[in-house]
Amino acid sequence: MILHLLNRSPATGGTVDDALAAMGPDDRLLLIEDGVLGALPAQVARFTGLTGRLFALREDLAARGLLERCEEQANIVDVDGFVTLTEEADKTVSWS
Amino acid sequence: MRYALLVQGAPYSSQASHSALRFAQAVVARGHRLDTVFFYHDGVYNAARLAAPPQDEPHLGDAWRALHNEHGTELLVCIAAALRRGLLDEREASRHGKPGHSVEPPFELTGLGQLVEAGLSHDRLITFSP
Amino acid sequence: MNETESAIDKGEVEGKVEGKVEGIAKGDLLVILRHSPHGSSWLREGLDAALVAAAFGQQVSLLFAGDGVLALMPHQQAGALGQKGTHGVIDMLAMYDIETLLVDAHALTSRGLSAEDLMLPVSVVEGDALPKLLDRHPLVLNF
Repeated sequence: MILHLLNRSPATGGTVDDALAAMGPDDRLLLIEDGVLGALPAQVARFTGLTGRLFALREDLAARGLLERCEEQANIVDVDGFVTLTEEADKTVSWS
Repeated sequence: MRYALLVQGAPYSSQASHSALRFAQAVVARGHRLDTVFFYHDGVYNAARLAAPPQDEPHLGDAWRALHNEHGTELLVCIAAALRRGLLDEREASRHGKPGHSVEPPFELTGLGQLVEAGLSHDRLITFSP
Repeated sequence: MNETESAIDKGEVEGKVEGKVEGIAKGDLLVILRHSPHGSSWLREGLDAALVAAAFGQQVSLLFAGDGVLALMPHQQAGALGQKGTHGVIDMLAMYDIETLLVDAHALTSRGLSAEDLMLPVSVVEGDALPKLLDRHPLVLNF
Protein backbone atom coordinates (compact mmCIF):
# COMPACT_ATOMS: atom_id res chain seq x y z
CA MET A 1 0.00 0.00 0.00
CA ILE A 2 1.34 3.41 -1.02
CA LEU A 3 0.58 6.69 0.72
CA HIS A 4 0.20 9.45 -1.85
CA LEU A 5 0.65 13.07 -0.77
CA LEU A 6 -1.11 15.82 -2.71
CA ASN A 7 -0.23 19.44 -1.94
CA ARG A 8 -1.95 21.18 -4.87
CA SER A 9 -5.50 22.45 -4.90
CA PRO A 10 -7.72 20.12 -6.95
CA ALA A 11 -9.60 23.24 -8.01
CA THR A 12 -6.62 24.43 -10.07
CA GLY A 13 -4.41 22.32 -12.29
CA GLY A 14 -4.29 18.65 -13.09
CA THR A 15 -1.90 17.32 -10.47
CA VAL A 16 -4.82 15.71 -8.68
CA ASP A 17 -5.61 13.70 -11.81
CA ASP A 18 -2.00 12.49 -12.06
CA ALA A 19 -2.14 11.35 -8.46
CA LEU A 20 -5.49 9.60 -8.82
CA ALA A 21 -4.39 7.84 -12.02
CA ALA A 22 -1.40 6.38 -10.21
CA MET A 23 -3.33 5.13 -7.18
CA GLY A 24 -3.94 1.42 -6.66
CA PRO A 25 -7.09 0.00 -5.07
CA ASP A 26 -5.60 -0.06 -1.56
CA ASP A 27 -3.53 3.11 -1.76
CA ARG A 28 -4.27 6.08 0.46
CA LEU A 29 -4.30 9.79 -0.33
CA LEU A 30 -3.36 12.47 2.19
CA LEU A 31 -4.21 16.07 1.28
CA ILE A 32 -1.72 18.58 2.66
CA GLU A 33 -1.02 22.29 2.12
CA ASP A 34 -3.25 23.61 -0.71
CA GLY A 35 -4.34 20.03 -1.34
CA VAL A 36 -6.70 20.28 1.64
CA LEU A 37 -9.09 22.26 -0.56
CA GLY A 38 -10.02 18.83 -1.87
CA ALA A 39 -11.85 18.15 1.39
CA LEU A 40 -14.42 20.88 0.68
CA PRO A 41 -17.90 19.65 -0.26
CA ALA A 42 -17.63 21.22 -3.72
CA GLN A 43 -14.41 19.29 -4.46
CA VAL A 44 -14.70 16.01 -2.63
CA ALA A 45 -16.67 14.33 -5.42
CA ARG A 46 -13.35 13.94 -7.24
CA PHE A 47 -12.38 11.40 -4.63
CA THR A 48 -15.41 9.12 -4.88
CA GLY A 49 -14.08 5.62 -4.66
CA LEU A 50 -11.52 6.55 -2.02
CA THR A 51 -13.93 5.96 0.85
CA GLY A 52 -11.89 5.29 3.97
CA ARG A 53 -8.66 6.05 2.09
CA LEU A 54 -8.90 9.85 1.88
CA PHE A 55 -7.20 11.94 4.56
CA ALA A 56 -6.62 15.66 5.09
CA LEU A 57 -4.13 17.36 7.38
CA ARG A 58 -5.88 19.17 10.21
CA GLU A 59 -3.40 22.01 10.68
CA ASP A 60 -3.40 22.92 7.00
CA LEU A 61 -7.21 23.01 7.05
CA ALA A 62 -7.22 25.05 10.26
CA ALA A 63 -4.64 27.54 8.96
CA ARG A 64 -6.87 28.16 5.93
CA GLY A 65 -10.06 28.54 7.98
CA LEU A 66 -11.50 25.41 6.38
CA LEU A 67 -11.66 22.99 9.29
CA GLU A 68 -15.40 23.40 9.86
CA ARG A 69 -16.21 23.24 6.16
CA CYS A 70 -14.83 19.76 5.50
CA GLU A 71 -16.81 16.92 4.08
CA GLU A 72 -17.04 13.85 6.34
CA GLN A 73 -15.67 11.68 3.56
CA ALA A 74 -12.19 13.01 4.36
CA ASN A 75 -10.62 11.67 7.53
CA ILE A 76 -8.98 14.54 9.38
CA VAL A 77 -5.54 13.70 10.82
CA ASP A 78 -3.06 15.77 12.77
CA VAL A 79 0.67 15.68 12.09
CA ASP A 80 1.06 12.60 14.30
CA GLY A 81 -1.57 10.95 12.16
CA PHE A 82 0.50 11.95 9.13
CA VAL A 83 3.48 10.12 10.62
CA THR A 84 1.29 7.10 11.38
CA LEU A 85 0.10 7.01 7.77
CA THR A 86 3.72 6.92 6.59
CA GLU A 87 4.46 4.12 9.07
CA GLU A 88 1.57 2.05 7.76
CA ALA A 89 2.39 2.52 4.07
CA ASP A 90 5.17 0.65 2.27
CA LYS A 91 6.31 3.94 0.76
CA THR A 92 5.08 7.42 -0.03
CA VAL A 93 4.83 9.24 -3.35
CA SER A 94 4.44 13.03 -3.40
CA TRP A 95 2.46 14.86 -6.09
CA SER A 96 3.06 18.58 -6.45
CA MET B 1 11.97 3.30 11.82
CA ARG B 2 14.65 5.21 9.97
CA TYR B 3 13.35 8.19 8.02
CA ALA B 4 14.86 10.48 5.41
CA LEU B 5 13.25 13.62 3.98
CA LEU B 6 13.69 15.26 0.60
CA VAL B 7 12.97 19.01 0.61
CA GLN B 8 12.65 20.75 -2.76
CA GLY B 9 10.90 24.04 -2.00
CA ALA B 10 12.61 27.34 -1.24
CA PRO B 11 11.96 28.59 2.29
CA TYR B 12 9.34 31.35 2.55
CA SER B 13 8.40 30.86 -1.14
CA SER B 14 6.35 27.72 -0.67
CA GLN B 15 5.04 25.81 2.31
CA ALA B 16 7.24 22.80 1.53
CA SER B 17 10.01 23.66 4.00
CA HIS B 18 7.53 24.39 6.79
CA SER B 19 5.68 21.13 6.13
CA ALA B 20 8.94 19.18 6.08
CA LEU B 21 10.16 20.72 9.32
CA ARG B 22 6.83 20.13 11.05
CA PHE B 23 6.85 16.50 9.88
CA ALA B 24 10.49 16.13 10.98
CA GLN B 25 9.65 17.29 14.49
CA ALA B 26 6.70 14.87 14.67
CA VAL B 27 8.79 11.95 13.40
CA VAL B 28 11.47 12.34 16.07
CA ALA B 29 8.83 13.02 18.76
CA ARG B 30 7.36 9.60 17.97
CA GLY B 31 10.72 7.95 18.57
CA HIS B 32 11.76 7.38 14.98
CA ARG B 33 15.24 8.16 13.74
CA LEU B 34 15.50 11.01 11.27
CA ASP B 35 18.95 10.40 9.83
CA THR B 36 18.91 12.63 6.80
CA VAL B 37 17.26 15.68 5.31
CA PHE B 38 18.33 16.13 1.70
CA PHE B 39 17.82 19.53 0.06
CA TYR B 40 17.42 19.56 -3.72
CA HIS B 41 15.97 21.89 -6.38
CA ASP B 42 15.06 25.22 -4.71
CA GLY B 43 15.15 23.46 -1.34
CA VAL B 44 18.88 24.20 -1.29
CA TYR B 45 18.06 27.78 -0.25
CA ASN B 46 17.24 26.39 3.20
CA ALA B 47 21.01 26.27 3.69
CA ALA B 48 21.54 30.01 3.09
CA ARG B 49 23.43 31.12 6.17
CA LEU B 50 22.55 34.78 5.77
CA ALA B 51 18.78 34.31 5.78
CA ALA B 52 17.27 37.01 7.97
CA PRO B 53 13.52 36.48 8.25
CA PRO B 54 11.47 38.92 10.37
CA GLN B 55 11.63 38.07 14.06
CA ASP B 56 7.95 37.22 14.29
CA GLU B 57 8.28 34.49 11.66
CA PRO B 58 9.66 31.00 12.19
CA HIS B 59 13.39 30.88 11.42
CA LEU B 60 13.68 27.81 9.24
CA GLY B 61 17.48 27.78 9.12
CA ASP B 62 17.72 27.88 12.90
CA ALA B 63 15.08 25.16 13.16
CA TRP B 64 17.02 22.85 10.83
CA ARG B 65 20.19 23.51 12.83
CA ALA B 66 18.31 22.69 16.04
CA LEU B 67 17.14 19.43 14.51
CA HIS B 68 20.74 18.57 13.71
CA ASN B 69 21.99 19.53 17.17
CA GLU B 70 19.29 17.69 19.08
CA HIS B 71 18.85 14.58 16.94
CA GLY B 72 22.00 14.28 14.86
CA THR B 73 20.06 14.64 11.62
CA GLU B 74 22.47 15.26 8.74
CA LEU B 75 21.53 18.23 6.57
CA LEU B 76 22.70 17.38 3.06
CA VAL B 77 22.56 19.89 0.21
CA CYS B 78 22.92 18.87 -3.43
CA ILE B 79 26.14 20.54 -4.52
CA ALA B 80 25.20 20.90 -8.19
CA ALA B 81 21.85 22.51 -7.38
CA ALA B 82 23.50 24.72 -4.73
CA LEU B 83 26.44 26.06 -6.77
CA ARG B 84 24.13 27.15 -9.60
CA ARG B 85 22.05 29.10 -7.09
CA GLY B 86 24.94 30.84 -5.33
CA LEU B 87 25.09 28.59 -2.28
CA LEU B 88 28.75 27.83 -1.60
CA ASP B 89 30.50 26.64 1.51
CA GLU B 90 33.93 27.97 2.47
CA ARG B 91 35.79 25.44 0.36
CA GLU B 92 33.70 25.96 -2.78
CA ALA B 93 33.82 29.74 -2.34
CA SER B 94 37.59 29.63 -2.24
CA ARG B 95 37.73 27.19 -5.17
CA HIS B 96 35.58 29.54 -7.27
CA GLY B 97 37.35 32.69 -6.08
CA LYS B 98 34.30 34.12 -4.34
CA PRO B 99 34.64 36.80 -1.65
CA GLY B 100 32.43 35.04 0.89
CA HIS B 101 30.57 31.83 1.56
CA SER B 102 26.86 31.32 1.95
CA VAL B 103 26.64 27.81 3.42
CA GLU B 104 28.18 26.59 6.63
CA PRO B 105 27.93 23.50 8.83
CA PRO B 106 25.85 21.70 9.88
CA PHE B 107 24.63 22.00 6.27
CA GLU B 108 26.92 19.94 4.03
CA LEU B 109 27.30 20.22 0.27
CA THR B 110 27.23 16.73 -1.13
CA GLY B 111 26.52 14.75 -4.28
CA LEU B 112 23.16 13.50 -5.49
CA GLY B 113 24.35 9.98 -4.78
CA GLN B 114 23.59 10.70 -1.14
CA LEU B 115 19.92 11.21 -2.04
CA VAL B 116 19.78 7.87 -3.82
CA GLU B 117 21.58 6.23 -0.93
CA ALA B 118 19.19 7.86 1.58
CA GLY B 119 16.19 6.71 -0.40
CA LEU B 120 17.34 3.14 -0.70
CA SER B 121 18.81 2.64 2.76
CA HIS B 122 16.02 4.14 4.88
CA ASP B 123 12.67 2.66 5.77
CA ARG B 124 10.89 5.76 4.51
CA LEU B 125 11.73 8.70 2.26
CA ILE B 126 9.16 11.49 2.36
CA THR B 127 9.31 14.23 -0.28
CA PHE B 128 8.17 17.82 0.28
CA SER B 129 8.05 19.82 -2.96
CA PRO B 130 6.66 23.26 -3.79
CA MET C 1 -4.73 3.29 -29.89
CA ASN C 2 -3.28 0.78 -32.35
CA GLU C 3 -0.08 2.77 -32.38
CA THR C 4 0.34 2.53 -28.61
CA GLU C 5 -0.36 -1.19 -28.62
CA SER C 6 2.13 -1.81 -31.35
CA ALA C 7 4.70 0.25 -29.44
CA ILE C 8 4.34 -2.05 -26.45
CA ASP C 9 4.63 -5.13 -28.64
CA LYS C 10 7.68 -3.73 -30.36
CA GLY C 11 9.35 -2.98 -27.03
CA GLU C 12 8.84 -6.50 -25.79
CA VAL C 13 9.72 -8.29 -29.01
CA GLU C 14 12.91 -6.34 -29.51
CA GLY C 15 13.80 -6.69 -25.85
CA LYS C 16 14.15 -2.94 -25.43
CA VAL C 17 12.61 -3.10 -21.98
CA GLU C 18 14.39 -5.18 -19.43
CA GLY C 19 13.29 -6.36 -16.03
CA LYS C 20 9.68 -6.75 -17.04
CA VAL C 21 7.37 -9.04 -15.15
CA GLU C 22 3.98 -9.77 -16.66
CA GLY C 23 4.52 -6.85 -19.02
CA ILE C 24 5.11 -4.28 -16.29
CA ALA C 25 8.57 -2.90 -15.62
CA LYS C 26 10.24 -3.36 -12.26
CA GLY C 27 13.44 -1.98 -10.81
CA ASP C 28 15.08 -0.37 -7.80
CA LEU C 29 14.02 3.19 -8.55
CA LEU C 30 11.23 4.74 -10.58
CA VAL C 31 11.80 8.36 -11.58
CA ILE C 32 8.64 10.10 -12.79
CA LEU C 33 9.25 13.13 -15.01
CA ARG C 34 6.25 15.44 -15.40
CA HIS C 35 7.79 18.72 -16.53
CA SER C 36 8.88 19.89 -19.96
CA PRO C 37 12.42 20.86 -20.92
CA HIS C 38 13.50 24.51 -20.68
CA GLY C 39 10.50 25.73 -18.67
CA SER C 40 11.96 24.78 -15.29
CA SER C 41 14.83 22.80 -13.83
CA TRP C 42 12.58 19.92 -12.69
CA LEU C 43 13.23 17.74 -15.72
CA ARG C 44 17.01 18.22 -15.67
CA GLU C 45 17.22 17.63 -11.94
CA GLY C 46 15.00 14.55 -12.17
CA LEU C 47 17.16 13.14 -14.96
CA ASP C 48 20.30 13.90 -12.93
CA ALA C 49 18.91 11.86 -10.04
CA ALA C 50 18.21 8.98 -12.43
CA LEU C 51 21.73 9.10 -13.91
CA VAL C 52 23.37 9.16 -10.50
CA ALA C 53 21.28 6.22 -9.29
CA ALA C 54 22.19 4.26 -12.41
CA ALA C 55 25.87 5.12 -11.95
CA PHE C 56 25.55 3.66 -8.44
CA GLY C 57 24.42 0.40 -10.00
CA GLN C 58 20.70 0.75 -9.35
CA GLN C 59 18.17 -0.45 -11.89
CA VAL C 60 16.34 2.72 -12.88
CA SER C 61 13.03 3.05 -14.73
CA LEU C 62 11.96 6.38 -16.20
CA LEU C 63 8.30 7.26 -16.59
CA PHE C 64 7.59 10.29 -18.79
CA ALA C 65 4.18 11.62 -17.85
CA GLY C 66 2.31 14.88 -18.37
CA ASP C 67 4.49 17.52 -20.05
CA GLY C 68 7.47 15.26 -19.30
CA VAL C 69 6.81 13.51 -22.64
CA LEU C 70 8.20 16.63 -24.32
CA ALA C 71 11.62 15.56 -23.05
CA LEU C 72 11.55 12.99 -25.85
CA MET C 73 10.72 15.27 -28.76
CA PRO C 74 13.24 15.19 -31.60
CA HIS C 75 14.94 18.37 -32.87
CA GLN C 76 15.27 20.05 -29.47
CA GLN C 77 17.96 22.66 -29.20
CA ALA C 78 19.63 25.00 -26.79
CA GLY C 79 17.68 28.03 -25.61
CA ALA C 80 18.22 31.53 -26.95
CA LEU C 81 20.86 32.29 -24.32
CA GLY C 82 22.58 28.97 -24.81
CA GLN C 83 20.71 27.15 -22.01
CA LYS C 84 21.48 23.54 -22.58
CA GLY C 85 18.08 21.91 -22.16
CA THR C 86 17.94 18.18 -21.52
CA HIS C 87 18.14 16.45 -24.90
CA GLY C 88 21.85 15.83 -24.39
CA VAL C 89 21.04 13.95 -21.20
CA ILE C 90 18.38 11.88 -22.96
CA ASP C 91 21.03 10.85 -25.46
CA MET C 92 23.19 9.55 -22.61
CA LEU C 93 20.58 7.30 -20.98
CA ALA C 94 21.70 4.19 -22.83
CA MET C 95 25.30 4.80 -21.79
CA TYR C 96 24.11 4.71 -18.18
CA ASP C 97 22.20 1.48 -18.83
CA ILE C 98 18.86 3.18 -18.31
CA GLU C 99 16.81 1.21 -20.78
CA THR C 100 13.38 1.13 -19.20
CA LEU C 101 11.82 4.17 -20.83
CA LEU C 102 8.11 4.34 -20.20
CA VAL C 103 5.62 6.88 -21.47
CA ASP C 104 2.16 7.46 -20.10
CA ALA C 105 -0.35 6.79 -22.90
CA HIS C 106 -2.69 9.57 -21.81
CA ALA C 107 0.17 12.10 -21.78
CA LEU C 108 0.82 11.29 -25.45
CA THR C 109 -2.75 11.26 -26.71
CA SER C 110 -3.72 14.45 -24.88
CA ARG C 111 -0.85 16.19 -26.67
CA GLY C 112 -1.63 14.71 -30.05
CA LEU C 113 1.56 12.65 -30.03
CA SER C 114 2.35 9.00 -30.55
CA ALA C 115 5.35 6.87 -29.64
CA GLU C 116 6.59 7.14 -33.24
CA ASP C 117 7.02 10.89 -32.80
CA LEU C 118 9.61 10.45 -30.06
CA MET C 119 13.41 10.41 -30.39
CA LEU C 120 13.86 7.02 -28.68
CA PRO C 121 12.02 3.71 -28.62
CA VAL C 122 9.77 3.66 -25.57
CA SER C 123 7.14 1.46 -23.98
CA VAL C 124 3.73 3.06 -23.73
CA VAL C 125 2.02 2.46 -20.40
CA GLU C 126 -1.77 2.45 -20.31
CA GLY C 127 -3.41 4.15 -17.35
CA ASP C 128 -4.50 0.97 -15.58
CA ALA C 129 -0.88 -0.23 -15.40
CA LEU C 130 0.39 2.84 -13.55
CA PRO C 131 -0.44 1.65 -9.98
CA LYS C 132 1.35 -1.65 -10.63
CA LEU C 133 4.34 0.22 -11.98
CA LEU C 134 4.65 2.26 -8.78
CA ASP C 135 4.12 -0.87 -6.73
CA ARG C 136 7.01 -2.66 -8.42
CA HIS C 137 9.65 -0.08 -7.49
CA PRO C 138 10.67 0.21 -3.83
CA LEU C 139 11.59 3.87 -4.33
CA VAL C 140 9.67 6.39 -6.42
CA LEU C 141 10.94 9.93 -7.01
CA ASN C 142 8.41 12.26 -8.60
CA PHE C 143 9.76 15.31 -10.44
